[in-house]
Amino acid sequence: MTIYDILASLALVGVAIGISLYEKVQLEKDILIGTIRTFVQLIAIGYALEIIFNLNKLYLILLTILVMVIIGGFTATRRSKSFFNGFSLSTFSIGLGTFFTVGLLLILKIITTDPKYMIPLAGMIVGNCMNASALALERIDSEVKSKKAQIEAALALGATSKQATERSFKNTVKAAMIPTLNMMKIVGIVQLPGAMTGMILAGASPISAVTIQIIVMYMLICSVTLTAILTTILASRKYFTLNHQLVEVGI
Amino acid sequence: MLKLELKGVSKKKKIKQDGRQKEILVLDDIDLQVDPGDIFTIIGPSGGGKSTFLRLLNRLEDVSSGSIFLDGKNIETLDVIELRIKVGLVFQVPVMFEENVAKNIFYPLKVKGENLSPMENHKEEIEECINWVDLDKSFLSRNSDELSVGEKQRVCIARALMAKPEVLLLDEPTSALDPTATLNIEKLILDLNKNLSLTIIFVTHDIAQALRLEHKCMVLVGGKKIEEGYTKDVFSNPQNELTKRFLEGNLKKEKI
Repeated sequence: MTIYDILASLALVGVAIGISLYEKVQLEKDILIGTIRTFVQLIAIGYALEIIFNLNKLYLILLTILVMVIIGGFTATRRSKSFFNGFSLSTFSIGLGTFFTVGLLLILKIITTDPKYMIPLAGMIVGNCMNASALALERIDSEVKSKKAQIEAALALGATSKQATERSFKNTVKAAMIPTLNMMKIVGIVQLPGAMTGMILAGASPISAVTIQIIVMYMLICSVTLTAILTTILASRKYFTLNHQLVEVGI
Repeated sequence: MLKLELKGVSKKKKIKQDGRQKEILVLDDIDLQVDPGDIFTIIGPSGGGKSTFLRLLNRLEDVSSGSIFLDGKNIETLDVIELRIKVGLVFQVPVMFEENVAKNIFYPLKVKGENLSPMENHKEEIEECINWVDLDKSFLSRNSDELSVGEKQRVCIARALMAKPEVLLLDEPTSALDPTATLNIEKLILDLNKNLSLTIIFVTHDIAQALRLEHKCMVLVGGKKIEEGYTKDVFSNPQNELTKRFLEGNLKKEKI
């Protein structure tokens, strides 16, 4: 593929803009911005990765992953409606899910420290963990707010804040993990995952693409579970004082 | 038997008004003593700080200044979980959180957790509690969502009794009930007080109800204790202008 192919594929964007104009949905500006951002961001990351791949230094790879984690934490909490700033707990949860899973992949010798494995796999992990963390933050907030009466009734009977939020905790972790669980159930049937599609397009045999994809799915369930549970534990604590009282602000 | 004492208790709360945070004084310098075995009614118009008052007693919230003593000990020095077991709280709107009535009543033991034996081993205690609130044993297997509000409120009281409290706080427990159910709950409160020697602090805005529950009362208006004494005396001979006005308003409402 060449620059010509990219320019030609702008015809596809043209179709979208055409429809938007015709139907007066006024999304042309958003489409245009999205088109430009896609181009600039991907080209930039392409060159950046080229450099990182060529240097092939472990610390640089880890630093790249760390930057992805921080951006993930920022994105997960940017639209958060919680009364507290969840950036640090979200970043920590995503980071732990990511580094633990990548570490396990290395220990089990499934991958080597080669950036061609580390970076794209970590990228996929961060992306999924970021969504899980955002969902967990959103759900725990609505759980505590909507179940305030139940939670306080339980506290008044001598339950700890952990016991009083038992059900909310379960609901939150479940809500954060459902996209990943659903993806595992329908993978390959409804859609071919991006990594696998990419490999096939790049010329790999479907069987070797599938092998990688299976590992990808298993690593995602590991990292997403960790991130979802950790975000929920850390976030649910924000709603209580050490004396098992709901905090007054924001609820 | 526990004595409750409040010394100079004030509570400030943050509220949002016109998008700005503001601090308001919900309870203002309250001194009070509740003796063991009392039925103590807290009466006053809504928004007067009655619910907050109860919430401070079992530490769902903490005082902003002043202290609350349980048998001479500042409640902030006690383990909060143990305090809440000793001082039970039943809310205005009954809340169920387990699927059937038996499990709801068992909840205080379940969360206590220490060498927890399964619910089946506590059948007698559970039956005793449902007995106290005048519900038939057959209710135990009922789905808690299918009960009437009055029945739910009884289950809530039974559940609070399961923790074996020494003080029971009741926050307008009859406000959602019809007159018959209300009278039944009142009778239940008098019985519990007599038979279990339970100290009861009862919040209401209904003067007739306060009179039916006899004993003592405190009139709370705008977060201030404006009068305190034997309920009959307070109502027959109010000393404070605000009490008089509150009584008149209440009576007017009843005539309508």
